[in-house]
Amino acid sequence: MMTCHYFRANLQPGNADAALLEHLRHCDACLDYAMSIDPDLFFRSLGGDELVPPGGVDAFVGDVMSQVRVRNAETALAPHRTVSAWQRWALAATIAVGVTGATLAYRYEHSAPAPQRVAQTLLSVQAAKPHPAPTATKSFVETYSSHNATIVEMPSDGSDTKVVMIFDDKLPADL
Amino acid sequence: MAAEVLRMIPTKESVELDDRQLVELIRQGDDGAFETLVRRKTSKVYGLCYRVIGNGEDAKDISQLVFLKLWENLEKYDPTYAFDTWLYRMVTNVAIDFMRNKQSRDNAVNSNLRLVKTAMDPEQPVTVARKEVESVFNAISNVLSPKQKTIFVMSEMEDLRSSEIAKVLGCRESTVRNHLFNARKLMQAQLKKRFPEYARLWEESR
Repeated sequence: MMTCHYFRANLQPGNADAALLEHLRHCDACLDYAMSIDPDLFFRSLGGDELVPPGGVDAFVGDVMSQVRVRNAETALAPHRTVSAWQRWALAATIAVGVTGATLAYRYEHSAPAPQRVAQTLLSVQAAKPHPAPTATKSFVETYSSHNATIVEMPSDGSDTKVVMIFDDKLPADL
Repeated sequence: MAAEVLRMIPTKESVELDDRQLVELIRQGDDGAFETLVRRKTSKVYGLCYRVIGNGEDAKDISQLVFLKLWENLEKYDPTYAFDTWLYRMVTNVAIDFMRNKQSRDNAVNSNLRLVKTAMDPEQPVTVARKEVESVFNAISNVLSPKQKTIFVMSEMEDLRSSEIAKVLGCRESTVRNHLFNARKLMQAQLKKRFPEYARLWEESR
């Protein structure tokens, strides 16, 4: 332990080493003298290491350890759902591959079709398209008007098409 | 290698294990080693918390929180670095967070507080007492930001060098020096304003 005499003999302004500070922080008698030599020591005279928490160190350590034990118990009781780093990476990679694959498939389906597929599609559309029905009447018939003609309407089979037979000597032969 | 060295040690009690050896034992599940570490670091952690926070009960709570965080994050500690630097970083982070949350609430109250000592005649000779220094520090250090105060405490009271503080806070040394310069300036201005009898010590000696 440094003596007060040694402290006072060795204290220089701006040159307080660790040993001198250690003495200053524990010796009230030298505090006033130190201030007169080096006012910068005003706050430096306060240390931190000698402080003890309220209730003492034993009680403090006991509190910390009891909280650690509680947390240990909580950890032990909690269901083990821990996933290792490798498992996490594998899961992430699987999801990424799945999403990418689905995106590519979707784009392929909806992208512009290849020429061969276009031709096949056109053929199938043409095959499926019904052929136009032959015209049943000619324009002449639509404007026909006569008082001597005999018109017979054939009974319909339920469809929209109507069959009408016109008997008239004045009608052209090629009608 | 470290585990082999530890096996050669007869008992924990017979030999003083250093911080890194204790950490190694804690990682292997030794709660007793953690208790030894807490006991060893309590004064250091509590002292820094108390100086930064300025309240014994709050400092105690924050210190306990620091040790719990330490226990939870011990796996992240890299033994190639000094244990105390890592510990100080944890303390400063928790304390600064606490101060930032508290400071906004307390600012209005503290601005109205004055110690009775303020009314003293500035010309009267002063005898410095440690309790007085503590009171003065607690009264005027609130003008500092949480980071400034932490740096001031680590430098002036914990005797850490600027380079060490920079490592703790994860910033440049020049930033630490800058904060320290501003903190000293603010503290001296506050001392002059609120405790002129102590501020006179500076003026007389310069």
